[in-house]
Amino acid sequence: MPGSDKETDLTERIEAFLSDLKRGGSGTGPLRGSAETARETTALLRRITAQARWSSAGDLMEIIRKEGRRMTAAQPSETTVGNMIRRVLKIIREEYARSRGSSEETDQQESLHKLLTSGGLSEENFRQHFAALKANVIEAINELLTELEGTTDNIAMQALEHIHSNEVIMTIGRSRTVEAFLKDAARKRKFHVIVAECAPFCQGHEMATSLSKAGIETTVITDAAIFAVMSRVNKVIIGTQTVLANGGLRAVNGTHTLALAAKHHSTPLIVCAPMFKLSPQVRREYTINNSNNHFVSSGEILSKVNVHCPVFDYVPPELITLFISNIGGHAPSYIYRLMSELYHPEDHEL
Amino acid sequence: DDNQMKDPDMASAVAAIRTLLEFLKRDKGETILGLRESLTSATDCLTGVDSSVAVSSGGELFLRFISLTSLEHQDLSRCKKVMEERGELFLEKISMSRAKVAKLCHTFIKDGAKILTHSYSRVVLRVLEKAAAEKKRFSVYVTESQPDAAGRQMAEALRKLNVPVTVVLDAAVGYVLEKVDLVIVGAEGVVESGGIINKIGTYQMAVCSKAHNKPFYVVAESFKFVRLYPLNQQDVPDKFKYKADTLKTVQNLSEEHPMIDYTPPSLITLLFTDLGVLTPSAVSDELIKLYL
Repeated sequence: MPGSDKETDLTERIEAFLSDLKRGGSGTGPLRGSAETARETTALLRRITAQARWSSAGDLMEIIRKEGRRMTAAQPSETTVGNMIRRVLKIIREEYARSRGSSEETDQQESLHKLLTSGGLSEENFRQHFAALKANVIEAINELLTELEGTTDNIAMQALEHIHSNEVIMTIGRSRTVEAFLKDAARKRKFHVIVAECAPFCQGHEMATSLSKAGIETTVITDAAIFAVMSRVNKVIIGTQTVLANGGLRAVNGTHTLALAAKHHSTPLIVCAPMFKLSPQVRREYTINNSNNHFVSSGEILSKVNVHCPVFDYVPPELITLFISNIGGHAPSYIYRLMSELYHPEDHEL
Repeated sequence: DDNQMKDPDMASAVAAIRTLLEFLKRDKGETILGLRESLTSATDCLTGVDSSVAVSSGGELFLRFISLTSLEHQDLSRCKKVMEERGELFLEKISMSRAKVAKLCHTFIKDGAKILTHSYSRVVLRVLEKAAAEKKRFSVYVTESQPDAAGRQMAEALRKLNVPVTVVLDAAVGYVLEKVDLVIVGAEGVVESGGIINKIGTYQMAVCSKAHNKPFYVVAESFKFVRLYPLNQQDVPDKFKYKADTLKTVQNLSEEHPMIDYTPPSLITLLFTDLGVLTPSAVSDELIKLYL
């Protein structure tokens, strides 16, 4: 039966995606960029919308939430998956509200105003059926996909405003966004880049090779030398894994050190992060990601020593000067506002 | 105040709003303007008895809500009926707000945490109750909070929950902070800048936590948001600083001890409200949305 074929096909794809996510985290599969993950998640969600069986917006949201929980459980450190799911849930809510013809769509957030004016403790349970809803949602998801595809370019376009001639820029590790940003500026300006290698994976080396191929003068330094070199640096530009709700970052380890050194020398710290990295989480307990221990070579001490290798660092919002995203530049104190535009508060907990 | 005696767990603002609602029900006025005036005088009367920030903000919210409603209906009696319904609804919503705040905040309390708090706050108590119910182990330091030693009341309540608690002197805040993981305080009012007005000694605690790099969390319900923008301690109006009877009886206020102080937003890490987890900069946004 074609119906059940579609379903099995769908479940197969979801399973394949989940196992991909799990492998990506353990370091054995190819390292995926978060943009790729975001795109794949959105494409998968579009497929679910098109192929799964649902009759009302409420059903669809339940299905997506369920799959979403499984996906985030597969790889908790990959927050873009959760972010995309929340974006799609918000899209569904908006399309539903639009189909109902209510002008409530802008006022979906809790607010003091709403507390006083709303008519009742009505729970929107999204039970009404609208024929055009499916098509509308899929169209909106397509728009989201187009937006995702353009993010790196949009960020890179802003490079010329921030990088001036003969400047010394510092960065850490490897970020595709920052790479594109610097390469775009290099087309018209001449500047020098210092890359901190970011042990133990030394992704900084790849970044340096790639930048020098584009004709940018690059220097690689060890993480320990960050503070020593900082006095000669004009700007620090970094990427991040996640932007948290309070304006802080979860970035590759070593970033907090870099941020503190920059603060000490009053050097501006610029974070290039596309909007899909914005997550409604706030900093929680410090969890150690011990998944990548294989870098420690064998030796007698291995049995006597506990190796802790955190993969990510938390950087508090006070150390950050500017966020550059695909929709422009923002101060860290403005992040909460962007968040309220992207996600609905009820979706913060999937 | 009748209301407050009946239920000591109710916030003073909620009691004030309930009183105003009763007043509304019994009002025999003929015009909306008349209604508004009588409600304003009722609010003044209430603040005359208990001049805390919370009562004033609660009263103002209620008045605001009246004026928003009255724009919709022409007929007074129908209008009043709608207002009464909405008033009940408002009360219902804010009675759930403490539960919402507790739900948001308890996840920030890790197992084995040492918490410092100031004076007696029902919201903080609720948060700690929830954390204890989630089987988290933590211990609490409470400041004594003179001149009314409200901290001892807090300690009593916490002992009933089987939470290990230590009462410390107000002067010992700096001493104790190195042992502490986080600081949680309530608020009597949240001002437009994102700062808070709370029992005297809160500002000190905030400055010390900043110096020690400890997170300073504030828990407050949304009806405590007030349209005030103090630039420093002197800017806070006298009617909030001193008790109502003190204002009436004492001639020279400079010899009196203020009961509250103002903590600027730069010292606050996060605010937990029933509207969500807010950074101090988000507070003014919320206030603008309401009062626009």
